Amino acid sequence: MIILDAKYIALAQMAVGGGLMGMAYALVAYGFQLTYAAGKAVNFGQGELVMLGAFAGISLAGTGLPYWVSVLGAMVAGAVLGWFVERVAVRLALKQHNEGWILLTIIVGLFALSSVENIWGRDDRPFPAPWPAGALDFFGISVTWPELAIAMGAMGIMTLVELAKRYTMAGIAVQAVSADPEAAELCGVRSRSAISLSWAVSGAAAAFAGTVIGPVTTVGPTMAAALTLKAFSVAVVAGLDSGFGLVIAGIALGAVENLSGYVLGSGWREAPGLILLILALALRPQGVFGKKIIRKV
Amino acid sequence: MLNVENLRAGYSGDDAVRGISLEVAEGSCVALVGANGAGKSTLAKALCGLLIPRGGRVFFDGKEITGLPASEVARRGLCLCPEGRRVFGPLTVEENLFLGAYPRLPSFGPFRRAASGDLKRIYRMFPRLGERRLQQAGSLSGGEQQMLAIGRVLMARPRFMVLDEPSMGLAPVVVKEVFEAIRSLHASGMTILLSEQFAKIALALSDRAYIIERGSVVLEGASKGLAKNPAVMAAYLG
Repeated sequence: MIILDAKYIALAQMAVGGGLMGMAYALVAYGFQLTYAAGKAVNFGQGELVMLGAFAGISLAGTGLPYWVSVLGAMVAGAVLGWFVERVAVRLALKQHNEGWILLTIIVGLFALSSVENIWGRDDRPFPAPWPAGALDFFGISVTWPELAIAMGAMGIMTLVELAKRYTMAGIAVQAVSADPEAAELCGVRSRSAISLSWAVSGAAAAFAGTVIGPVTTVGPTMAAALTLKAFSVAVVAGLDSGFGLVIAGIALGAVENLSGYVLGSGWREAPGLILLILALALRPQGVFGKKIIRKV
Repeated sequence: MLNVENLRAGYSGDDAVRGISLEVAEGSCVALVGANGAGKSTLAKALCGLLIPRGGRVFFDGKEITGLPASEVARRGLCLCPEGRRVFGPLTVEENLFLGAYPRLPSFGPFRRAASGDLKRIYRMFPRLGERRLQQAGSLSGGEQQMLAIGRVLMARPRFMVLDEPSMGLAPVVVKEVFEAIRSLHASGMTILLSEQFAKIALALSDRAYIIERGSVVLEGASKGLAKNPAVMAAYLG
């Protein structure tokens, strides 16, 4: 067995912890992908949905409901809110063929933020989760149960949605709408419903992300903005159309941001996300993993 | 079965369809003949709900369908096979066909069995689609895509098919094959509105025809008669 220098172990520990957290970014970014594919718009208040999901989970768990039921309840709330954002903010702007939805989704997010501050207060709260204390040890690197829950949960949700997209008619219809909304309408697919469905699923995924991030980071109103930015960076780097590039981009961002926090000081934690976003937009606007869309005539 | 009264439609600026009236009886095949840009595709889109008409009315089975969304029109059995085929390129041939039957399949339950009979029928009609059923539709040749587009409409069990430029961009030998399929559909009793710029082939296939020029009907009548009309043949030799 290789004996590593303690310093490298610490770095590896940082990278792994960050990478696992990065899976949550990937999951939120996946929500961007879902709505972008179906309706060519994303929710710039997605971070607020994550936060709302976390708070909803805390409150439900506070009433004595079992953890899993609270998570499910949070997801239902997220689905309803995601659907609602599309209905009140996005549909209106897209109907008039303008980009007003960007501002409108931010505004709905701000509403959500102040509602949360009014209902739950501004303090960070712990998220109760039934995971065992302690950590698992992989070659000297420890992984806590809540961290593992982020990774497994994110992969689980993404896999489930991808399977549903391929193996249910509703999923195939959503894919058809993203490929050609008019042709989908001609098949009898109500494209507005397909878009609503993708927003609901995206909202549920964001709320779920909140319930798995919560036990690691604690939950507070400040988590929202940073999450939107990070997830958006991941989505842009991976490309808004590429399925599993997201996971790689998410893990990379999580790891790099943890490492830069460790090496350069905690003030630099948020820098990599921004730098990554700027670089990706400058160098490969179609995404590192995205394919150029080639039209066959 | 289909009655169109004084329909006007367009995208921006002037109307591309300037008050067209037409009638298609059940079981018949009616052709819309005209040059590129005469307004045939705009008319087809306005009939099927992809474009909201600016004026006039459309009746299907005696019920007004003017301005209904395309998904609603399709659900009533009036199905458009659009210009340019518009198959779902990233999806497989089979998924494209399932989508044709979308309104009658369960959204979240098992759907394969519910559509398997129709699927077999399409594969019998177009064996090449069966051979390529798991390929991405975008990788098919133009002719195969046209067959897929027709197959997708047939999966809906339509009562009325609107075929918009089915010959577009296809090699002559493939055009022949596609029109053979349309002829046998007509022979089996399907009501068809066929928009086509190749006058000869459209008039040979159809019972009646409308000649369209700059958004208006300039001539109409039995296809046989129009095919013998030297003015028509001179203008739309194809």
